[in-house]
Amino acid sequence: MENKFLKNFGIKNVPTWCPGCGNFMIQSALKNALVSEGFSPKNTVMVFDVGCNGNGADKIEGNTVHGLHGRAISLAAGAAIANSGMKVIASSGDGATFSEGPGHLIHAIRNNYPMIFILHNNENYGLTTGQASALTKKGAKMNASPDGVYLEPINAMRFVLSLHPSFAARTFSGDIAHMTAIFKEALKHDGFAFVEVLQSCPTYNRATPESWYKERVKYLKEDHDASDILAAGRLADDLEKEIYLGIFYKDSSRESFLKMIPNRKNVKTVLKDEVKGYNAVEYL
Amino acid sequence: MNRIRIKITGQSGSGLLSVGEIISSAIGALKYYVVTDREYPSLIKGGQSCYIINVSDKPIFSLSDGEDILVKIEKESEILKNGVKIFGGDATKMALECGGSAIMQNMVLTGMVWKILGFGLDALEKELKAKFGNVAKEMILKNLECLKKGYESVETEDGFWNLKVSGGGTRENILMDGSRAVALGAVACGVRAYFGYPMSPASNVLTYLAEMSGKTDMVVKQAEDEITAVQMSLGAMYMGARAFTATSGGGYDLMTETVSLAGIMENPLVVLIGQRPGPGTGLPTWTAQGDLNLAMHSSHGEFPRAVIGLGDAEDSFRLMAEAFNFAEKFQTPVIVLSEKNILEGKISVSRKVFEEKLKIERGLREGVIDGEMRRGERYKITESGVSPRWIPGEGNEYYFANGDEHCENGDDTEDSEKVREMYEKRMRKFSAMKEEIPAPEIFGVKKDADISFVGWGGTKNVMRDIIDLYAEKGVKVNFLHYSFVWPIEEKAVKDFFADNKNVNLIEGNYLGQFGNLLETGCGVKFKNRLLKFDGRPFFVEDLTKFIDKNLKNRANGK
Repeated sequence: MENKFLKNFGIKNVPTWCPGCGNFMIQSALKNALVSEGFSPKNTVMVFDVGCNGNGADKIEGNTVHGLHGRAISLAAGAAIANSGMKVIASSGDGATFSEGPGHLIHAIRNNYPMIFILHNNENYGLTTGQASALTKKGAKMNASPDGVYLEPINAMRFVLSLHPSFAARTFSGDIAHMTAIFKEALKHDGFAFVEVLQSCPTYNRATPESWYKERVKYLKEDHDASDILAAGRLADDLEKEIYLGIFYKDSSRESFLKMIPNRKNVKTVLKDEVKGYNAVEYL
Repeated sequence: MNRIRIKITGQSGSGLLSVGEIISSAIGALKYYVVTDREYPSLIKGGQSCYIINVSDKPIFSLSDGEDILVKIEKESEILKNGVKIFGGDATKMALECGGSAIMQNMVLTGMVWKILGFGLDALEKELKAKFGNVAKEMILKNLECLKKGYESVETEDGFWNLKVSGGGTRENILMDGSRAVALGAVACGVRAYFGYPMSPASNVLTYLAEMSGKTDMVVKQAEDEITAVQMSLGAMYMGARAFTATSGGGYDLMTETVSLAGIMENPLVVLIGQRPGPGTGLPTWTAQGDLNLAMHSSHGEFPRAVIGLGDAEDSFRLMAEAFNFAEKFQTPVIVLSEKNILEGKISVSRKVFEEKLKIERGLREGVIDGEMRRGERYKITESGVSPRWIPGEGNEYYFANGDEHCENGDDTEDSEKVREMYEKRMRKFSAMKEEIPAPEIFGVKKDADISFVGWGGTKNVMRDIIDLYAEKGVKVNFLHYSFVWPIEEKAVKDFFADNKNVNLIEGNYLGQFGNLLETGCGVKFKNRLLKFDGRPFFVEDLTKFIDKNLKNRANGK
């Protein structure tokens, strides 16, 4: 297994994250899931946002793109459309996803692009030294919020569920086994798989440190009906006392993007293999 | 025959568009050369709109200001002696008399114009049947009746112009607007995905590609905003497809961060800007050449890029392939500029243009690297600055496509020496690109012209007409036209200035952006500048006025 890791998604460059950063665990879990699901750098592309997690773009051996702040989802969607034979995984932080580019998330869910999106929710802007995000707890004293955040935070999972996603799961960076299991399910999903990772940020997130989460996280029970969107919403609501982890909602009946478009339904090839000269007169 | 100018005016949404379309395509089918444009306000209904048709039995490329036949849909009929003016009041009455609806006055008016031109009714009937092919038969019959009524209401034997049945053009001419030509060019050069967000005057590119997608199997996606459209294009290009997006200046403003990302990722990217006057919302439905500086200087940081200006429908078809070839070979953004009146105006183009097999150059590394999976040197330092590029997943090398400064193997770096090397490598591509830029084209005499012009994009249309017009008078006019406006091919303009003594600038903006570029970059100096920035294209009369004055002043030693 160790040898396989070195060949597939190994690490050559020393990560630059703070000691105790949730990114170490997320990266390990993702590699676990990819390798155990049979993926290799040959059939995988990882698209990174700008931020702490984005600094991991050159810390994992595989096809990676280090793109713009808030735009990872759209670049990844374009890539996924061009070659459906590749597994495309985008990841962004809470600032990127819910402030810089929430439109991309909304429409990616609606279009059900065949890709995984991992929300690194550490409830702050880490790389710019700890400003509040739209997901920071109310009252938390942050860089540039000296009197504490005076706005209510957005509940990421509630928001996503309101859009009728085809796959929505939440996990926690303090639990590698759970993250791995969730990522594995996301990798199997054909469509837009939203995975929120509650991520510890030992440097800037003092409001909800790892220990705070550890006291509160609960796992969705085995009898949770992942096809019941209303039940999913109720369980996702609490981010204070009992914070549930697991697959909240899944709708496999929804077709992924390329299968929805009428003109691509019966096409067997992928776009990148169709680039050649065409006779324009046929389309006059 | 000189040109005949037909203008149809009326409220937006009153059906004048269909009158214009039917007349122009019916005349085109009779082998005349046709140029059309639409002038309309940014409204759905109401407000005065106008459809302009210029017809000639010789090739024409631009419009003349004014009209010989004026159709005013909401006014009473009247005939004036300095031209024929038809007004539409009784047309409604006639349509109702035929058992048609009030809107069928369009058909009555079409019939009137047709009679005035002196054509037989059958050609028009044929065109109408083709246009309304899928409409109920009863409906077509009513329209034909209205057409006949209008035709017969004009009392003249041969029409005022007594035109021959055939215009003498080539049989294969088709009427083509720039948007459709762009779409066809994209299809022909292997574009497999289009991501767009509606914005005048680029929206028709989206519409045409969407309408064709049932046959092309292209993915045509209306994205949620311009940032998404350009990001998806970039992602699809990264993955090895050909993809692009089109917008106008305001939409492009939103895309500029992504253009910069493509610059450092060294990823091919093609974006088309359909120009209209700015700033702000400006004049959304009018034309301009004001976004050259935007295309050249947009986006933070320094990186090489090419800017291509489309001049007409033929350029729009051919140069789309060139844009992709340059973007892929040099792994960098290519900005394509078009103009509202090129995108929406129609022009007679030989069908043969679209039969051409466009050259496709992808600049991808040849062969597949096998063996153990390993990281490839995607940003290898080379003399030309162009590093090997391959499609992710093909072969056993993966790579980091890095938007942060990086080393040859894609790793982040902040090391001063390595940063400098990579920066210089990227910028060297500009010189490499410059060597492959095609030379600009000279229209008219090569040297010793009485008056000369330099320009880019759509100004070549009016210049071609002007060169012919003055040749008939024995005045030598020539024109140096740039399609690749950046990087600049310098020799041609220097030679042009050496060979011609009265060189002027023609450009559709206030600053003379391209002129400034040539003056500062190539050491040339224009005698005068003909600039237009009121939303209208250059008309023949703009040029005759300028040239006549210029030549008179020179004759007087001024």
